Amino acid sequence: MLVDLFSKRIFNLAYQFAGNSQEAEDLTQDIFIKLYRSLPRYGFGRNFSAWFLTLAKNHLIDEYRRTKWEKRNRDDYDDCLRAAASDTGDPEAVLAVEEARRTLWQGLNRLSADVRMAVILKEIQGQKYEDVAEIMGLPVGTVKSRINRGRLQLARLIRSDKGSSHAM
Amino acid sequence: MRCDRVQDLLPAYTENDLAAADRSLVEGHCGSCPDCAAWLAALREADGALAGFPEVEPGPALLERLYRLPSETVRRRPVLEFFLRPSLQPVFTAAAVLMTLLSLYFLNPDRRAFDRTVVRQFHRGLSRVEKLYVGAGAVTDSLGAYAGSVFTALKAMNPLERNKE
Repeated sequence: MLVDLFSKRIFNLAYQFAGNSQEAEDLTQDIFIKLYRSLPRYGFGRNFSAWFLTLAKNHLIDEYRRTKWEKRNRDDYDDCLRAAASDTGDPEAVLAVEEARRTLWQGLNRLSADVRMAVILKEIQGQKYEDVAEIMGLPVGTVKSRINRGRLQLARLIRSDKGSSHAM
Repeated sequence: MRCDRVQDLLPAYTENDLAAADRSLVEGHCGSCPDCAAWLAALREADGALAGFPEVEPGPALLERLYRLPSETVRRRPVLEFFLRPSLQPVFTAAAVLMTLLSLYFLNPDRRAFDRTVVRQFHRGLSRVEKLYVGAGAVTDSLGAYAGSVFTALKAMNPLERNKE
């Protein structure tokens, strides 16, 4: 049941964070193993989803820090993600958005682990600031400032990708 | 307003998280500064692209591995899980301190001298307590005597009592 409820969310979190499909599968499996081993320590009455995402976040960041030199390359955006996208409408606009997403997908690796995790949770997974703060174990103000810093870094990539030489 | 200040405010501006005064300053500045206007456009484009980021379905092989996990992991060492409970940590800490003290005592090569010192200190402490107790008794007695004489003096000063006499 937990697999049905959370596997997609955790796999996407791992994939967006690590950027590699095979690695994301291994990380997802490790996170579920950790979950089953930690379940006896779960305090009933707590928000299970936030508790589980905190566990996943800790594992992903710890793994990244342990092996970050081996993980500098992400999968090509086209390999997995473009096939999953279902944008419809003006083809030119769709193309522009896909171009921006390709840039951002590679650009996520330029963000520090904490900033990347906060940006993924808020901007990609659509969590509220309060929920991200609970998952990250940080005050809401700190989380906001990290996310804003990450957003500006990604906006800079979009600008430089468009040939602008302006710097902030 | 300077450009770097405006660019710092742009993330909050795009989320309608600015006070009205700052908001109109940002709008006024971006209307006249093409660089900051381009930053605003890039930020909005990044936000839009991130918001609709495609989600990937986990593959059947991964799901198969995940479904098999509970029986493989939950079977693992329930006794160990019991002892790893955070609520037992203070108990283990106290036990570790106690064991250290006991080992310091029992592994001490000069244990008899240590025992003698402890007994001597104990008796010294006991005699100090006795002296204190006796001293306290003497103070109580003298306080009683003082109280009696004060009471008598007050009686003598009372005019009603004097008239009776």
